[in-house]
Amino acid sequence: MASFLNKWKPGSASLNASAKDGSKKKEEPPPEMTPLEKMLQNAGAIRPDGSDKFFGMENALFYTTAFREQVLNFPPLSPPDTPNGSRPRVNVQIRAPNTNGNAQVDANGKKNPNEKKPPTAGIPQPGQPVKPEDKPDTPEYKKKQAMLKGPILELAQESTTAYGMEECTFTGLRDIFMALVESNTRTGVLSPQRFLEIFKRDNEMFRNSMHQDAHEFYGLVLNDVIANVESTAQRLLKFEAERSVDGMTDSLRTALSAVAKTRANGTNSPGTGWVHDIFEGLLTSETRCLTCETASQRDETFLDLSIDLEEHTSVTSCLQKFSAEEMLCERNKFHCDHCGGLQEAEKRMKVKRLPKVLALHLKRFKYTEDYSRLQKLFHRVVYPYQLRMFNTTPDAEDPDRLYELYAVVIHIGGNAYHGHYVSVIKTEDRGWLLFDDEMVEPVDKHYVRNFFGDKPGMACAYVLFYQETTFEKVRAEQEAEGLEEVRIVSEKADVAQGNEHANGNTNGLSRQVTAPNRPADSQDALPSLDHAATVPNLTRSPSNRIPVPPTPVDVPPVPSLLRSNTVKSLKETKREAKAQEKAQEKARKQAEKEEWKNKRKQREESISLIREARKTEEAELKKALEESKKMAAEDKEKQNEEHDSVPALNRANRGSKSMSRKSFGFLRGKRDSMETSDSSWNGSQNGESASHASPTTQTKPPEKSEPFRLRKSFSFGIGRKKSTKFP
Amino acid sequence: MFVLPPPPRYPTQAAYNAAVAAGHVAPMIETNNILSTPEDQFLVGEGTYVLKEDLLLATPPPHPSEAPVINPNPLATNPQPATVGTKVSLLSLESRRPPPAFYRLAATAALPGSIAEHPNEWRLSNDAKLSSDGEGRGTSVSDVGGPNSATAVSAPAFGDGNALLAPERFKDPNKRRKPKNNMTKSNSSFISRVIINEAFSKKMADRSNDGVFAFANINRAFQWLDFSSPTKADYLTKILFTKAHCLSHDVNLITKSLSHLDIIMGFSTGEIIWWEAMSQRYTRLNKNGVINKTPVSQIRWIPGAENLFLAAHMDGSLVVYDKEKEDAIFNPEEEETQPNGESTPPNIKPSDKISILKSVHSKNQKTNPVAIWKLSNQRINAFNFSPDNRHLAVVSEDGTMRIIDYLKEELLGLYNAYYGGFTCVCWSPDGKYVLTGGQDDLISIWYPQETTLIARCQGHQSWVTSVAFDPWRCDEKNYRFGSVGEDCRLCLWDFNSSHRQRGSVSSRVPTLHRAETQGTSPGRIRSGSTISVIDGDEEKISINYPVEPRSNVAILPPVLTKIADKDPLSWITFTEQSIMTSCKTGHIRTWSRPSDSLTQTNSETNTPDVM
Repeated sequence: MASFLNKWKPGSASLNASAKDGSKKKEEPPPEMTPLEKMLQNAGAIRPDGSDKFFGMENALFYTTAFREQVLNFPPLSPPDTPNGSRPRVNVQIRAPNTNGNAQVDANGKKNPNEKKPPTAGIPQPGQPVKPEDKPDTPEYKKKQAMLKGPILELAQESTTAYGMEECTFTGLRDIFMALVESNTRTGVLSPQRFLEIFKRDNEMFRNSMHQDAHEFYGLVLNDVIANVESTAQRLLKFEAERSVDGMTDSLRTALSAVAKTRANGTNSPGTGWVHDIFEGLLTSETRCLTCETASQRDETFLDLSIDLEEHTSVTSCLQKFSAEEMLCERNKFHCDHCGGLQEAEKRMKVKRLPKVLALHLKRFKYTEDYSRLQKLFHRVVYPYQLRMFNTTPDAEDPDRLYELYAVVIHIGGNAYHGHYVSVIKTEDRGWLLFDDEMVEPVDKHYVRNFFGDKPGMACAYVLFYQETTFEKVRAEQEAEGLEEVRIVSEKADVAQGNEHANGNTNGLSRQVTAPNRPADSQDALPSLDHAATVPNLTRSPSNRIPVPPTPVDVPPVPSLLRSNTVKSLKETKREAKAQEKAQEKARKQAEKEEWKNKRKQREESISLIREARKTEEAELKKALEESKKMAAEDKEKQNEEHDSVPALNRANRGSKSMSRKSFGFLRGKRDSMETSDSSWNGSQNGESASHASPTTQTKPPEKSEPFRLRKSFSFGIGRKKSTKFP
Repeated sequence: MFVLPPPPRYPTQAAYNAAVAAGHVAPMIETNNILSTPEDQFLVGEGTYVLKEDLLLATPPPHPSEAPVINPNPLATNPQPATVGTKVSLLSLESRRPPPAFYRLAATAALPGSIAEHPNEWRLSNDAKLSSDGEGRGTSVSDVGGPNSATAVSAPAFGDGNALLAPERFKDPNKRRKPKNNMTKSNSSFISRVIINEAFSKKMADRSNDGVFAFANINRAFQWLDFSSPTKADYLTKILFTKAHCLSHDVNLITKSLSHLDIIMGFSTGEIIWWEAMSQRYTRLNKNGVINKTPVSQIRWIPGAENLFLAAHMDGSLVVYDKEKEDAIFNPEEEETQPNGESTPPNIKPSDKISILKSVHSKNQKTNPVAIWKLSNQRINAFNFSPDNRHLAVVSEDGTMRIIDYLKEELLGLYNAYYGGFTCVCWSPDGKYVLTGGQDDLISIWYPQETTLIARCQGHQSWVTSVAFDPWRCDEKNYRFGSVGEDCRLCLWDFNSSHRQRGSVSSRVPTLHRAETQGTSPGRIRSGSTISVIDGDEEKISINYPVEPRSNVAILPPVLTKIADKDPLSWITFTEQSIMTSCKTGHIRTWSRPSDSLTQTNSETNTPDVM
């Protein structure tokens, strides 16, 4: 199938090659603060659960809180000899930050033609072409800085014995997570070398230098994890069963109960409850034979949904299409057990059980017969921050479950055979972050909407991760992020007004500020690990315009609300003081007066500022006018020759159908799917009618005669309507 | 040991150039408008709508001095200026026959209200003149205005009772005050260029009075066109701004005359321009974002007002400006000294109340802003005045719709989207229903009188961008509305109030909330004439109505869905002869109504092609 470079775990390639010439160069200027570090400057103590680690590693799984916790806590009990409770430490090598980021050698030992070679670090020579990684604001530059800064966690060895497990994908993944959690810095780069080795060992497909598919990778990892965890759990279970019951520890009991729980669910194999609990949903496909009208049902589990795309649609509508009726005819006839033989049939898929984490794979890669190869679809597909599923079965539990978008895997590139993956992930309390190889950068919420597929640059959302949430949570979050939003929006307004430099030229300025404050130790071969934590408290750099949550210094100019509040509280405190001590009151009054004075001063200042701005504006006018006049003249000339400035998007054939209409994840066939009996269908129908009954029994307001009458008439007949809701 | 290949490069400059060549990126040359007549049509119950013409308004290239730094990195985090699609306003100087639905407004008294007599009788007469069209955003069809439209709606004027806001009277309405600056001779850095048609005065002299003007904003350009002209592709005036994008505009229907057209425009920089089209003069308001720096997502004249208009800023505040007043830096603490002004409690729950940072009743009305209401911290996407000029429906990016009594500056109800944000809002011509379109691909029909959700309309395949009622096909019971969306589709919908009696469209409020909200349903607030009572109750009562589960709300299918353009659509309006749509790239399409709408075609109503 598809294969693209899976540059999934960052850094490994460049690390391997450049490790040799480790600490030769020392004239590298001290790295400046990245936006991320600025953001983390006033973060509190490092948390034990790893939710505040921002390593150069694009891994949506790590930020799936539930998944992370479970991975960290599994297996519940290490072999008996390990003292219970203390986690085995991961064998992590911390490598010196790479002071020569240039020597990148590809798989064949060939030098990458795109990479400029001469390792003249530091300031580019005049006349020489500027290397991409030396230009501030290029991703290359930022990645290099990340490598320079370190720490670089390298996972070359496994600590499998401590887990009592064979070395496998799961242990590899767990090591990564453990390393991150145990690291005493918040930022850095992690090289998942060993993980990739294990993964390649187990998956032949990935044993080459071809570019791989992120979605496939995700599926394989999850499946491997399930398989690994499963076998271990069973082994542990057996092991424990042999031992006496009183030897059971609490943690093991929970593990066993988890196993028991999944058995009760009856959905899948035992022991892997937590993976399934998080990612697994259940699909029902109903097939109705058009000859005998018999409907048969089949349930299938899924870890993600692969949905076909059409131009100018939303994820919502793509999901609806996924559940739309499908005719099985001609070559694709259905074997009906009732009539015995291939018959034409109607088939539709609906979601019977919604997963906690809903992974949506947008099928941007389509096989075209004309070229007999995969093509990338650049359809504009919009995705909302929140989502509910319309295509649930009538008996589905909590059909109105609210999901929120928390991670987007983005594919950059023009075709299906190569490209680059990055991800944008919403962290628990640090907002949205962009993970691009070694680079981690905070971005604002609107940034997430840049990957609908129609923007230049060929970056499109490829896998969307939605997680279960509640309405109240969403509202609370929205209220909290409001101020941030205001700041960003006003910042944008600033940019639009031209008060700002473009993003690119901020670096030089901030470097001037940051350089003297940086301790020189970052140039040492083995730097202290606590970069982020011990970074001197820099005052804000004058050109800090990259979205960063408001720091006290960086109060946005807009929120006038705040000011009124502070004034008010001042007044209140004043009143209190009056009641207590007169002396204090005096002092306070004085302070208040001062405050007022300051405020007035500020106001006056801002007025004068505005006046000044107007003056300078006027000064600029003439210049601008002349320029525009010139341009106008030019434009007029051009106008005669040119027409139609607005060509339509002529992207790959719109509306064409995909090769395989539906795929239910890679689990299909592998995982057990099962037939539900007719009785369960009956049961579900009962459930449906029961739910219909509820609106009719609803009480009505005793007063207000007219609305009362209307209301009375509202309250039934939904059931009928409902059956036609999703034709 | 395996060594991965090096990280791939980002698309290079060459790739970008290729993209430009392929038309994915806007070229740098400015072009003329193009009128074409592609063939297309669609069939609805009442007949066949035929595509009459397609007017492509040229999207201006970026200003030369503002040529964007071409960043081949698709991950660049530079903030982009806010943009919207093409928005159009239609305006006719002569009053026309109002749509047939219009008389009902007086008869049915949309929302029951106690009408306080108020001293400024002359303003009442203005109200009567006011046309309460304006369904759909960025739209104002004025051909329903005029003294002969018997809209005996007499809502008090906004700001009534504050003598400071009473506008000066003009003895001669034809001698209105003009803005300060001459636009053609302007050397403001805000305005890049003003191009006036060479035959402007001839065109103005030749045109018939009942012709339709159109005003349209396309990114940094603003065009004034004459749709009744034989050469309608030629603009009368085209204004190019330097960097600010015009996001919304509105024409004042009270002050319009042969010699005077008041237009306000809101920009992505937060700034506002008051432009008088006939004299080509303008005034800048909120200059350099003195009052509010965030982009103006929608701007409208307050119904009945000559000078006051309302702008929705993206930080979640609604600001009332006076077109003739100077800006002043707004300091909320000044409000504190106002005995009259409502102060904002520090720990107010934003959802339950609007915080009035400055009341319209404030005694300090020498300068702008006239009033500021902070709704939330989320971006406001659109708002719409109710036809009876009493209420305001405001929708936000966080998926809330607020019904506000803007005369009393009071929040009456807060409704929530199924999921995602709301993008557009409009009132039915009789003021009974409110439509919202959103990022859940749905249009919701709300019935604010009873705080209920009547139905969710499912038919779009992407986000809805604009909704509008068709007043010519609405009567007492039946309603027709249209919507357009990012899916390039035009959908038409029918619903009738008898649906509710038949029970096929049903709705209910959860019992719990019903009990809670009895006291505050908007109808009751106003029937209970005194405000003080409500104030007392307000603490306990939630006016925040929760999301209805899907199983409780009827789903309404469209009577038609039609791919109406190649690009995502951004605007829809209905005129007597046609349906008009516009898209993001500047195509304005006019779909003529069935030539003889009385002859019903036998053919069936088009069913939605895909659901």
